[in-house]
Amino acid sequence: MPIPPDLPVTPVTPVTPVTLAVSAMGTRFELVLLGDDERRLRAVGEEAIEEIRHWHDRLSWFDRGSFVSHLNARAWPGPVTCDPEFFALLELCREVWAASGGAFDPTVAALMRASGFRDQAREEDAIARARAVTGFDKVELDARARTARFAGPGVGIELGAVGKGWAIDRAARILREGGISGALLHGGTSSVMGLGACPGAEGWPVKLGVKPGDPTVVLRDVSLGVSAGAGRAVEDASGVHGHVLDPRTGRSADGVGLAAVVGESCALADAWSTAVLVEQARPQGMPPGLTSLIGPGEDGAGPWRIDGPHAATLIRS
Amino acid sequence: MTEMDRRQFLVAAGGLAAVSLFPSELPAAPILIEPLKLGLVGGGRQGRAILAELAKIEGIKVAAVCDNDATRLSGVKSRAGDAEGFEDHRAMLDKVKDLSGVIIATPTHAHKAIALDAVSAGRHVYCEAPLAHTIEDAKAIATAAAGAKTVFAVGHEGRSNPVYQLARSFFRTDAFKDMVMMRAQCNQKTTWRVGSPDPAREKVLNWRLDRELSTGLMGEIGSHQLDVVHWYRNRHPVSVRATGGIRLHTDGREIADTVLAEFAFEDGARFIYSTTLASSYEGKYEVFEGSNSSIRLAWSHAWMFKEADAPTQGWEVYANKQQIYNEAGITLIAGATQLAEQGKLKEGVGLPNSSLYYALADFVKCITEKKPAVCSAADGYRTAVVAILANQAVAKGGEIKIDESMLKVG
Repeated sequence: MPIPPDLPVTPVTPVTPVTLAVSAMGTRFELVLLGDDERRLRAVGEEAIEEIRHWHDRLSWFDRGSFVSHLNARAWPGPVTCDPEFFALLELCREVWAASGGAFDPTVAALMRASGFRDQAREEDAIARARAVTGFDKVELDARARTARFAGPGVGIELGAVGKGWAIDRAARILREGGISGALLHGGTSSVMGLGACPGAEGWPVKLGVKPGDPTVVLRDVSLGVSAGAGRAVEDASGVHGHVLDPRTGRSADGVGLAAVVGESCALADAWSTAVLVEQARPQGMPPGLTSLIGPGEDGAGPWRIDGPHAATLIRS
Repeated sequence: MTEMDRRQFLVAAGGLAAVSLFPSELPAAPILIEPLKLGLVGGGRQGRAILAELAKIEGIKVAAVCDNDATRLSGVKSRAGDAEGFEDHRAMLDKVKDLSGVIIATPTHAHKAIALDAVSAGRHVYCEAPLAHTIEDAKAIATAAAGAKTVFAVGHEGRSNPVYQLARSFFRTDAFKDMVMMRAQCNQKTTWRVGSPDPAREKVLNWRLDRELSTGLMGEIGSHQLDVVHWYRNRHPVSVRATGGIRLHTDGREIADTVLAEFAFEDGARFIYSTTLASSYEGKYEVFEGSNSSIRLAWSHAWMFKEADAPTQGWEVYANKQQIYNEAGITLIAGATQLAEQGKLKEGVGLPNSSLYYALADFVKCITEKKPAVCSAADGYRTAVVAILANQAVAKGGEIKIDESMLKVG
C-alpha cells in the first residue's frame, strides 16, 4: 500500500540511538537503532551484525572458503547443490538479469578483470575472451534439485552488485523479529534501508548528491540502492575507460553520473540501480513497484529523471 | 629470481625470523558414494554456521533439524531446505530412522540429554564444545560414548585445523625445542546477549549469562584454546588460578565479561590466558614460546618465529615470510605446494576454510571411513573439566587444584 504524501512525523523522544558497525563486503555497514531498551537494542543489533558477517563470509569473491568461491570452483562441470537461501539469491539475480535485458549481470567479473579493474592490465584479447563467458544465461539453475551449473569453463559469478542489499534485507528481518521498528541500516551508504522514522521526521531522509537541487529520499520502511559512475577508470592507447561496464558489449558506459532505485527490497534496489546506471534510463522490464532516479551525467548537466510510485510520496526536491 | 619469486620469499629485516607454516597438501573433502543424512539439533548462531559449512560438503543431506524454540526452528528449517523440523530431539530420533549422525549445537546445558539419547539410538554424534556445563554431565556423556560403537566427536576444532596440525609437528621437534611459556587470548567486543521482545524467551536464550547454566567465558570461549594446549602438550594442568570482572557490560549480569587465568603444569610450564567481551584488540590467538622458536596460531594463520641462534634446517630459507610487528615470521601455510603451483602464495596464506569446516569434514570422514573421532569424548571431557574448574576459579577468585583422578572418564 503506498504511503500517503503527508507522512506522520514521529514525535521527538529523549532516546539515545544505539549505533553498531562492522566492516564487511569491502565497506562499512552501520546500524542506527531506536527504542527505549538499550540493552535489547544492542543485543538484537549484534545479531543483525552477525547476519551481515555471515553473508560477507558466504558471498566473498576473494575468500576461498566462501560459498561463491565453492560455486565458482565447481559449478563447471557441476552441478552444485545450493542451500535454499543462496539459491533464492541466484534466482533473484536471474530475475533482474532477465528483466533488465542483461544490464545487471553477476557474471561480469571476468570482464572486469580483463578490462583492467582487478589484478591485471586491460587487454583487448582478454576482453574478447571474457565476453564469451559473460552472461547469466550461462548459469543454469534447477529449482527442483536446487542446483546451479555453469555452461562452460571460465564462467563465474560475483555478487557485489546485490550482496550488500541482500545482507541488509536479512539484517532488517532480524531487527523486526527482535521488536525494533525504528532503524537505519546502510552498507557503505550505497545500500540503505529505513525502518520507521527517526525522531522529529517523517522517515529517514537521505540526500542523493551534494548540490542544492539534488533530491532527498525519505526512507520509511523502504530501501534505496545507489550506483555511481564516478570512481576508477583505466587508460590505454584507446582512451579512458570507466568502471561501469555494459556486460552485453564489454564496453564502459560513458558519461554516467548516478542512478538510484527505491523499493521494498534492498537487494532488488541494489541490483536494479546497477541496471539503471548501465542503461542510463529506466529499463522497460523494471517492476512497477520500484522507483528509479537518474542523476545528471558526469558533466553535471541536465535534470534528475525520477519515475515510479515513490516519486510523489517519498522524494523531496 | 623473478619479481614474483622475490616477493614470495621476501625476508623482512630485523628481530626474529618468523616463518609461516602451511601443510603442503590440504585435506581433501570427504567423497561420499551415498548421501549421508544428518540431523542438526540447535538452530542458533552455531547451528546456522554449521549449516553453512555443511553446504560446502557435497553428499551431505541435512534431513532433520530440531529446536525447542519455535522462531529458531522456523529459521533453521528455512535455511536447511527440505529438512523435517522437530521441537523435540527424541521425536527426531524416533521418526527419521535413517539419520546417520546427529550434530548437537544447543546450549551447553542441553547437551547431555541429546547426546545420551543419540548414542543410545546408535547414531554418530558431533557435539559442540564444551562437552557439558557440569563435570557430572560431561562424565555421563563420555562414559556413554566410550561404550558406543559409533563415532562421538567433540567440536574442539583446533585438532582438525590443518595449520594447527602442521604447527604441532614443529612444536614436537627441536625446531621448537624447550617449552618456555604459553599464552593465549580471545578478545571480542560484544554483549554476549540475545534480544527478544518476549521476556520469558529472552531469559531462556540468554543461558550464557545465567550463572547456574553457563560455563562462562572460560568454558564457552576458553575451552577451545585450552584444548589446543592440551592437544599440543599431551598433558593437562595441575592447577588454575583465575580472576574476572565486569569491565564494560554493567547491565545487571553476574557473569564476568573479562577473565584472566594462569594454568600450571607439573613440569613447571605456565599457560596464561585472557579473554574479554569488552575489546576486540588482537582477536584470538595462541602463542607457544620455545627456546629455538615461538609459534603463533591464529586459527586461519600460523607463524613460526625462529631464534637467531637456532640451527638452520634448510627449508625455512624458501618459506614465505611476513612481518608481524617488529618480528619477521615464517608463515605456516596449508596447501603451500598447490598454491605455489598456482602462483597464489602472494594472494594470502590463510586457510581456505574455517576450522569448523575441517572439524565437520573430519566427522564425516570418520563415519564413512570407520575411524575414531579426531577429538574424542574423552578428550572433550578432560578439557571440559579443566574449563569448568577454571570458571569456578574465576567466580571464586582464587586457585583450584586439578587432581589427575578428576580427568579420568572411567
